[in-house]
Amino acid sequence: MENILLVKDLKTWFPIKSGIIQRIIGHVKAVDGVSFGVRRGETFGLVGESGSGKTTVARSILRLIEPTAGEVYFDGVNVTKASRRELLNLRRRMQIIFQDPYASLDPRQTVNSMLTEAMKIHGITSGKSEAYRKALELLVEVGMSEEHLYRFPHEFSGGQRQRIAVARALAVNPDFLILDEPTSFLDVSVQASVLNLLKELQKELSLTYVFISHNLAVVHHMSDRVGVMYLGKIVELAEKNALYYSPKHPYTFHLMAAIPVPDPEFRKEEVLLTGDVPSPVNVPPGCRFNPRCPYAAERCKVEEPFLIEQAGGHWVACHFEIDFKSGERIS
Amino acid sequence: MGKEEPILEIKVLKLNFHTYRGEVKALNGVDLELYKREVLSLVGESGCGKSVTALAVINLLPENAHILGGEILFKGEDLLKKSKDEMRALRAKEIASVFQDPMTFLNPVLKMGTQLEEVFMLDTNALKSAAITQKRQGKKISYADFLSGKMEYKNETNNMKVSKDDVKKTARALCLDVLQLVKLPDPERVLTQYPFELSGGMRQRCMIAMALARRPLILIADEITTALDVTIQAQVLHLLRELRDKVDASILMITHDLAVAAEIADRIAVMYGGNVVEVASTTEIFRRPLHPYTVMLMRAIPSVTKPVERLESIVGTVPDMIDPPSGCRFHPRCPYAMPECKTKTPELKEVAENHEVACYLNR
Repeated sequence: MENILLVKDLKTWFPIKSGIIQRIIGHVKAVDGVSFGVRRGETFGLVGESGSGKTTVARSILRLIEPTAGEVYFDGVNVTKASRRELLNLRRRMQIIFQDPYASLDPRQTVNSMLTEAMKIHGITSGKSEAYRKALELLVEVGMSEEHLYRFPHEFSGGQRQRIAVARALAVNPDFLILDEPTSFLDVSVQASVLNLLKELQKELSLTYVFISHNLAVVHHMSDRVGVMYLGKIVELAEKNALYYSPKHPYTFHLMAAIPVPDPEFRKEEVLLTGDVPSPVNVPPGCRFNPRCPYAAERCKVEEPFLIEQAGGHWVACHFEIDFKSGERIS
Repeated sequence: MGKEEPILEIKVLKLNFHTYRGEVKALNGVDLELYKREVLSLVGESGCGKSVTALAVINLLPENAHILGGEILFKGEDLLKKSKDEMRALRAKEIASVFQDPMTFLNPVLKMGTQLEEVFMLDTNALKSAAITQKRQGKKISYADFLSGKMEYKNETNNMKVSKDDVKKTARALCLDVLQLVKLPDPERVLTQYPFELSGGMRQRCMIAMALARRPLILIADEITTALDVTIQAQVLHLLRELRDKVDASILMITHDLAVAAEIADRIAVMYGGNVVEVASTTEIFRRPLHPYTVMLMRAIPSVTKPVERLESIVGTVPDMIDPPSGCRFHPRCPYAMPECKTKTPELKEVAENHEVACYLNR
């Protein structure tokens, strides 16, 4: 299948400055060499713990943060080298929905002016009446009604705000949406309705999603393929069921085992990771996971593994193949 | 769980908050029992009153809260009738609590060792007798001994002098012991560090250690894993399970996450709009949820073990507590609502063994 988005060896480092002359004394390597492709019409999930660089990847793709190195291609166009004018055109097609709907909506704009502003900038509608009609259409599409059009964000609940954010993103007819933790601020009963809405919209408008979340169950529910990030790198990438039910990377294995299961009769084995995620300023040498990995060998401390395709479409960045039942390294 | 006497009993607790917008009717007659050595999980969405219930137990409610009625019985005494000083003593000893964000509860300018020792120092007599026992027997007193009160020289403290130094040493040794109990790596180093030098998971472990240092009968854990990553959350949940067996305490665990509750609780109480709507043992409530809200909540969360194509969402939103719906507060969102649901508030009724529901459907 054809890739709509291609990310090649993307790196985003943030400098750490110190002293009066603000000398750069190091870098926070938030994203440190990430590559993946997103197929047209699919949902690509990105999971990882806090600080693993998921959000930075999302923002670097849209160039809301300038990446340090690497390339991003959207439908064949190099986003990283695009000029301002080209970028405006690209951003019409690539939209993002942020985590916190209390911060992402302008408190002094009505819903109508929010929705029409984007259309005006991109020259999608001509004239006020057409813009109004389109705004109303969008609002109905996300499950709201005309009476909400002239209200301000503070008059809405979290779930409604997130719906408005979705409507605003859709106002410019994009074909690609980045969803950065779209439901983590919502209550579970509301989360379900927003997730359902996103799924319906995807089918209806044939959208491509990149879905980012730390909630592994939600990502499994939404995605077709999933990439797991750890300390700024993708350590495993596969079709969702292959990844969740037969993980190959030791980090993924432990991550999956740590998901709390809403079923007390489902007894799983207790496998616990020790320690915390190291700081992205001092990334451990070799494989970044080696200080916490129970299967680490000498080689893991020196040589960094590449992301290699092991089985059809199952990519893993680990030197070994591990049988997690017996705990043995096979090769 | 036998039908023994509950250690904590909340009876028809009603509570309002005064705000500029009006009276927020936060708790609408909460009934809850916590038994000895059990883990009870209070589950609900934001604004359902689960944290307020916990705060009412330890009398740490904000100033604009007004208790309208009800009782909170602990050891046969009503906590709502106690003075501030009595409650303070109770919080220091018998009812410990741990909250979501450890950074706001740890003192940022004191080393962990100082903060932890202070908790042991609260009970000077116990500490003194521990030091004496240690001297007489010539062996170290462990936290487990300290906990079970295996100190023989309780009333003889006067005729045996211990120096302040000795007491301090005992406290320090006990600190190390509790830190080991909560599985902190390198506890000696942690004692010399400030809170900002620790990671989120480590801070939360320190908070738990401080709570345990008080030898509590009840441990209130309010969303303690919410701010943590999944792998760290699994570590902390595992720790809590272990502690329950080692330490003789009941745990009241508050969470918005049904999955977390399923992992750890013996019983689960589901709250909605200031009421407990269903209480049952964990296996029972997942096997046979009876309240429509519980059923819908379970279908609304995606599960990795039982994937579905479409989640079932609950129509409407969490009610505005200033002007809550009449009768059963869930009725505007309930697909099975009957005429009487609008007028009368259903009470919790036992429908099966250890399974109580507040709904007219199951009568």
